[in-house]
Amino acid sequence: MQGKEFWIDFVRTFFMVTTLITLVFFVVGQILAPEQTFGYQVFSAPLVYALVGTVPNLVLYSKRELRVKELLLRKVLQLLLIEAGVSFVALYGAGEYWRQPVMIATLLGSIFFVYVAATFISWVGNLLSAKALDRELAEFQKMNG
Amino acid sequence: MEIKIFKVGKEKPEEVEIRCHEMTEEVREIVAFVKTRQGQLTGMQEGKQYEVAVTDLAYVEAVDNKVFLYTQKQVYETRQKLYELEELLREKYFLRVSKSLLLNLMKVQSIKPAMNGRMLAVLRGGEEIIITRKYVAELKKALRGGS
Repeated sequence: MQGKEFWIDFVRTFFMVTTLITLVFFVVGQILAPEQTFGYQVFSAPLVYALVGTVPNLVLYSKRELRVKELLLRKVLQLLLIEAGVSFVALYGAGEYWRQPVMIATLLGSIFFVYVAATFISWVGNLLSAKALDRELAEFQKMNG
Repeated sequence: MEIKIFKVGKEKPEEVEIRCHEMTEEVREIVAFVKTRQGQLTGMQEGKQYEVAVTDLAYVEAVDNKVFLYTQKQVYETRQKLYELEELLREKYFLRVSKSLLLNLMKVQSIKPAMNGRMLAVLRGGEEIIITRKYVAELKKALRGGS
């Protein structure tokens, strides 16, 4: 992805992730610690996590169209940067509860799982679209050939 | 430039004659337009000029402000701009599939998924062309007769 399209996608992803993290905080908080109370600083948490999760998207930026292998490599790098960023926030920015090795490992494992699952689901969707296009292309060539 | 049109009988061949003071860029553009309408493009290769049949072209690509015509085995440079060719070749089943590339849909063997919502067009010679996410929708429209 290039230029303006990339930046529009970047901003859209940031706000989408912020909303989803807020939703996850709400649901998980209600289940695990419904009595917990926070100060106003808690409002910054979804923004910080969304920033940490979105900034690594910059590694996908390229002025020319990336080949599949190049994109795959950059996606791996993106995942590593997200994991590193989230670990940093968990270690130095979050509460004592999140600093336990088990919690960090769970967090990193969850990020890995969600990232791989989302990439896989997107790829399957792409595969189905490609198959439909392939059939339509054969029809098109038969009609016009 | 004055334009004169004479009707001729069916027994005589149709022809376009250009009378000019010198071969300017404008004249070259008119010649290129007429040739394209007749299914031909002018391409340069190692200083020599060639007539390339549009039906032989697999794709047209712009690289560093130069435009190249690709057949299965040869590459030619053309003076025409990509947007001009896009307009002229639309009727010949060419479609823009990325910012810098026009693809001949009749030369595509299959379509495969690439990452990030993009597609790969596999040409008959095995070469793979990336169809960017932005143009996948255009491709769908074209295949369904919308373009």
